[in-house]
Amino acid sequence: MSTLTFEALGKSYGDTEVVRDISLTIREGEFVSLLGPSGCGKTTILRMVAGLVEPSRGRILIGSDDVTRLPPNRRGLGLVFQSYALFPHLSVTENVAFGLRRRKVAGAELDRRVREALAMVRLATFADRMPRQLSGGQQQRVAIARAIAPRPRVLLFDEPLSNLDAQLREEMQIELKRLQRDVGITTLFVTHDQGEALTMSDRVGVMARGVMQQFAPPEDIYHRPATAFVAGFIGRPNRLAGRVVRRDGAGGRVRIGDRVELAAAAIDLPDGAAASVIIRQEAIRLAAVGATASPSDAPDRVPGVPGTVLLRSFSGARVQYVVRVAEGVELVAETGSQGAAADLAPGTAVSLNIPPEAVFAMPPEEPAP
Amino acid sequence: MSDGTDHRPGRAVTAAAIAVLVFLQIPVLVVMLAAFSTTSYLTIPPKGLTLAWFGKVLADPTYLAAIRMSLILAFGSTLVSTVLGVAAAYALFRRTLPGSEAIIAFLMAPLVMPAVVVGVALLQFFSLTGLRGTLFGLLMAHVVITVPYIVRSALASLAGLDGALEEAARVLGATGLEAFRLVTLPLILPGVVAGALFAFITSLDNVPVTIFLIGANQTTLPVLIFSSVEMGIDPSVAAVSTLLILATAIVLILAERRFRLHRFV
Amino acid sequence: MMPVRHALLILAPLGLVLAAFFLVPVLMLLPTSFGSYVPGSGIAKGVWTLENYLRIATDDYYREVIWRTLGLGLGVSLASLILGYPVAWLIARGPASWRVPLILLVVFPMLLNLVVRSFGWIVLLANRGLVNNLLMQLGLITAPIKLMFNLTGVMIGLTHIYLPFMVLMLVAAIRNIPRDVEAAAATLGSSRTHVFLSVTLPLSAPGILAGSILVFVLTISALVTPRMLGGPTYKVMATLIYDEYVQLLDWPSGSALSFALALMAIGIIWASSRLARRWAGMA
Repeated sequence: MSTLTFEALGKSYGDTEVVRDISLTIREGEFVSLLGPSGCGKTTILRMVAGLVEPSRGRILIGSDDVTRLPPNRRGLGLVFQSYALFPHLSVTENVAFGLRRRKVAGAELDRRVREALAMVRLATFADRMPRQLSGGQQQRVAIARAIAPRPRVLLFDEPLSNLDAQLREEMQIELKRLQRDVGITTLFVTHDQGEALTMSDRVGVMARGVMQQFAPPEDIYHRPATAFVAGFIGRPNRLAGRVVRRDGAGGRVRIGDRVELAAAAIDLPDGAAASVIIRQEAIRLAAVGATASPSDAPDRVPGVPGTVLLRSFSGARVQYVVRVAEGVELVAETGSQGAAADLAPGTAVSLNIPPEAVFAMPPEEPAP
Repeated sequence: MSDGTDHRPGRAVTAAAIAVLVFLQIPVLVVMLAAFSTTSYLTIPPKGLTLAWFGKVLADPTYLAAIRMSLILAFGSTLVSTVLGVAAAYALFRRTLPGSEAIIAFLMAPLVMPAVVVGVALLQFFSLTGLRGTLFGLLMAHVVITVPYIVRSALASLAGLDGALEEAARVLGATGLEAFRLVTLPLILPGVVAGALFAFITSLDNVPVTIFLIGANQTTLPVLIFSSVEMGIDPSVAAVSTLLILATAIVLILAERRFRLHRFV
Repeated sequence: MMPVRHALLILAPLGLVLAAFFLVPVLMLLPTSFGSYVPGSGIAKGVWTLENYLRIATDDYYREVIWRTLGLGLGVSLASLILGYPVAWLIARGPASWRVPLILLVVFPMLLNLVVRSFGWIVLLANRGLVNNLLMQLGLITAPIKLMFNLTGVMIGLTHIYLPFMVLMLVAAIRNIPRDVEAAAATLGSSRTHVFLSVTLPLSAPGILAGSILVFVLTISALVTPRMLGGPTYKVMATLIYDEYVQLLDWPSGSALSFALALMAIGIIWASSRLARRWAGMA
């Protein structure tokens, strides 16, 4: 168990900079996720930590040891691959024993530690199977047992859950988190799935085009995104073409279409610039016009945006509405499936309450994550 | 067909195919029969059966020397080709080298070049360098003609491998060599063995290169049979051929049992 | 990832062996082919001539041998295709339990020594061979018919030897045809013959091309079988090269002929790979 530190870590292929000067420290026993769209550099960082890619600049420290130039086999890490990379010619036991044998663990000690690792992932009864005889989820567990058996200083995960189906993925998220707590290993988890990152991590690093956008606890990432990119990547955003009307500190006002004008918490653009306006679906509150007849009911005095329900879709716990707020401007708003706002028929005139914290403006050329 | 879904070969096709398969085995059967026949020309039915020709072959120092030479060349060249070929294929697999397609084409080139041309080219080269009639020269010639089979089968086996496997081994503490020995090699072994088997047979089979390069008192088994036949047919040729047939059949069956060879042909 | 330096280091031994014992020797043949042969003493010093190549192009005997070689290539490819297709079809589409034994029956003769197989045909086809003896015993002929040292013998021997290569190529090609396509054609009312002609055969065209090219190139390069079944008189390019080197010691002429043969083989492979690429582009 150790800290993991990056000092101005960078990687370039030719003229292309895929990781730009990342500096951060992961604390002992901390679970950190790197989150971002594919090609953002998160996997490159993980592979540099593992020693599979050589950094172009900067240093990597495990504890106080500089491992930047060490080969992978001398770094004392555990890595769980997206493809699991189980050795197909070796039994479950031999897969788990592989790292232990390389560290000269043998005899009864070897048996004990293999059993211990398999018990931790609840696969004790599968010790003699071959990898091909296991389900995807079981292979995943073997890969984790193999990685933790040698008691690595740092555990690395490269999108390990992306090959599992949705239900199994959620089970594994919880199980992984519990396992990591029990073992207490410093963990770096790479994923493109924000739900995964937010659920499991102590801190999340959101990356875009090789740059660390924000490195903070999940609550901060969600509620206080540092850049418009983070805002647009986290949550379920509407993206609308608009224009910055007025800057005011970090935020200001943006206009969508001809009439709709909104307050925004964060704007990454100068006055008058064309913008991609992000509005979080789940933050919009809507009510049928007339239902909120008495203005005194409204807790604040933000005027509602008028609109018309075009479509309602029910998905169990949530209800989504497509609402037209102006000619050619449509928003998706999401509410819980209980309550007054849960059952608005198409055609209903509604008023949308859009809190400024849910509105962000970013450069329009920013690619959708 | 009435149900319209059966597009299996019909009876006529099956019969034709079986006839062709019989055609393929005929010379084999004939050689084996001739080896046991008392007369120097084979008749059906044979005039009499004997094992004398086998005795003659196994007592003949010329044949024994030729068999020995063939086996030395076949084992030696297969070993050298396997080591060099697997190493080269591994380098091409682990690292995207510039011009790797051209490199592969170069490694496979001896397969495209007519064997006679390789033979005469080496004849001239060995005459100039004094390698003609040396075991080393012959061995290198056989490496050249066998190595493409190894490179091809090793490349095919490596292509089916998840690149993350070796990385997993490295991160778990294996050195580069250990990762190759403990993970990659066991996984490509069946393909490499199939390639080595083809290499071995190719070496054992070769006349058009070998015949130009052997010295005065050297010969290999196929070259000896080839030149004996020019002198006229002798049942001892049939006997030694039968020994080769049996050896080939045994190797083929063992390879099929152990490595399910038919996947690689 | 392995450093480039390491990769080159483990690639180098084979590269050097092939450079020293394949590339250089073949290239060294080139000056020889422009040399002039002096009977009795070998190659004349300092003389450069195109004579060897001109002779290949103009001399009637050489031209006959070259046309015969190419004709054999074509004939053997065609015969292998016709004989091989039913076998390949049976392996690819026949009962699953037959597959492995059938493949082994195809592979076994292929692995068997070339000299031994050719010898088998001599036992069969010689004047006092099995076939002639049998025909005479049955009273069908009174004197042996000539089955060897001519086109018949060489054709039979070469077809037998290269047929397995064709079968294996065709099996791979037929297996690649999705059964659904054949089934679809059948459910649309095609007869079995029609399904074969309109679906299976055209879709296996890449395999037919690959197999034919392979057999063609192997046939025109063959030395052992044409020599054993064609004898010293019925010559093809490879046996002519052999004679010029071993018996006549006319290396310049032999090396020119070697280059002609190599260029034919390589040219055909190159042309066919271009054609295959164009086909792949159309699909």
